[in-house]
Amino acid sequence: MLELEQVCLQRAGKRLLWQVSLQAVPGELCVILGPNGAGKSTLLQVMSGYLRPDSGRVRLGGQDTAGLSPARLASLRAVVEQQAATPSGWRVQELVAAGAYLAAPAQQAAAMARALALTDTSRLAQRRLDSLSGGEAQRAHLARALCQLLASTQPERYLLLDEATAALDFAIADSQMAQWRQLAQDLHIGVVAVLHDLNLALRHADRVLLLQDGCSIAFGRTADIMQQARLEAIYGIRLAELISPDAGIRAFVPHTPR
Amino acid sequence: MIRLSLLCQCLLAALLLTCLGSLLHGSGLIGPMLHGNQPLPALQLQLLLQLRLPRLLVAICSGMLLSSAGAAIQARFRNPLAEPGLLGIYSGAALAAALALSLGGGILPVSLAGFAGSLLTLWLIRLLASPNGQGSRLILSGVAIAALLGSLLTLLITTLPDGALRSITFWLMGSFASAEWPQAWLLLLATPLVWLGLFRHWRLLNALQLGEATAFHLGFDLQRGAWLVVCLASIAAGVVVSSCGMIGFVGLLAPHLTRLLTGSDARRLLLAAPLLGAWLTVSADWLARSLLAPAELPVGVITSLLGAPFFLWLLRREQESPRA
Repeated sequence: MLELEQVCLQRAGKRLLWQVSLQAVPGELCVILGPNGAGKSTLLQVMSGYLRPDSGRVRLGGQDTAGLSPARLASLRAVVEQQAATPSGWRVQELVAAGAYLAAPAQQAAAMARALALTDTSRLAQRRLDSLSGGEAQRAHLARALCQLLASTQPERYLLLDEATAALDFAIADSQMAQWRQLAQDLHIGVVAVLHDLNLALRHADRVLLLQDGCSIAFGRTADIMQQARLEAIYGIRLAELISPDAGIRAFVPHTPR
Repeated sequence: MIRLSLLCQCLLAALLLTCLGSLLHGSGLIGPMLHGNQPLPALQLQLLLQLRLPRLLVAICSGMLLSSAGAAIQARFRNPLAEPGLLGIYSGAALAAALALSLGGGILPVSLAGFAGSLLTLWLIRLLASPNGQGSRLILSGVAIAALLGSLLTLLITTLPDGALRSITFWLMGSFASAEWPQAWLLLLATPLVWLGLFRHWRLLNALQLGEATAFHLGFDLQRGAWLVVCLASIAAGVVVSSCGMIGFVGLLAPHLTRLLTGSDARRLLLAAPLLGAWLTVSADWLARSLLAPAELPVGVITSLLGAPFFLWLLRREQESPRA
């Protein structure tokens, strides 16, 4: 289990996170939602061990991240950053290989091939990063992160995604979300994603954490958490809930005068 | 992209030919060698072994050190303008060397003082660096330190007597003219050590091109690994600057030129850049010695004089074909 317990973080006198708790389990897609500046990305950085909380604990598979070396952390979790770099001249293959830099040589090739296959990027392997579209680059970085997890021998592994759908059109974003969930189930890894799109979360997330001003408002099963009144309070606007009964699809749209 | 082994072979061949040319040109040995059956003149042979050979070795090693350090430091800071002297290493070495000169030191004490000065600067920068290993703060501290030490150096120079002033100026411009066997041995020892140390970190250097956060996420210890890279590159700069002064532009130019041929992969870069860098310094030294012979130009003037326009051309070229 990826477990946050009463995590608090301050920077320059400003409270960024206040007593946030969360549990993500392997096989599930957990989504962190909240308005801009709520502390979603900061929370993800705390989970990844990049930021150390002032108080509270972060445990990955039962181990407190405070005592883990970067290499050890890397065998437990991989991260797709919000604005992942695309160094000029690199090929997709080289990027994905970077995921397994610290793994045992025996695992590297297999992990790379599998990561490329799972993310449907095998045919991009020889392409240059700077020639890729936004969606393709996103998949390449996902492959890099998966390669890191696949090369690890740890029993419990987590994939952290920071606004990884921000640059994607809604069709690609939707298929990406479906793919993350599928990967979570197939590989039995825990996926935690920071998102902006309520409806993507509603459609694909197993669990949702609602964050506002660094405080956890609610955490639990998607259907229980994503209630109209609660979302209206957090985002400060009126919402309308649209339901398509035959397809079984719910969606929220702003309900404000144009 | 050219195959790496082919590229390295070509560079090595060019380097060897240039070394041979630089070693023999004007040595007075070519004629007797061509005639074969005469014994080689002893005096000229002596000069070759005692002056030209150590000088050539110093030129080769400084080229290799500066270019591999430049390649590593550019990758570490993801900054194409970075060079081994970025963190004020040159200024620290220059200040200490000038201090030793003003106290009346000879070549060797001045070299040692220069090296000590570079190490002291490095230690000072370490004190000022951010605890979580962020590169931006390191660069900014380095720039401030360089400015501070530079102004102290200017202050010191104004008080120097004429003789010391001439030698410090020559030293500041960089020259292989005073290179002798002690420097050559020092550089022969330092070059493989520094290069191996940097090459061992090619994965880290590649990961850093994806950003510091990503490098951390991939499992690299920025506090330790990245600092070690900076240390090695700075030591390289210190060793070079203390044995032959400031050789400008090689540490900047050689990695850029190599990158055009190999791409930005740190492993390929660290293999090819030293060969290219050594070729640059050996050629520049040959030119510095023979352009106005028997007078000699400081080699740093040559490298900057030819390097700067070439670098500008390179920049224009990169702009015109952004995805070259």
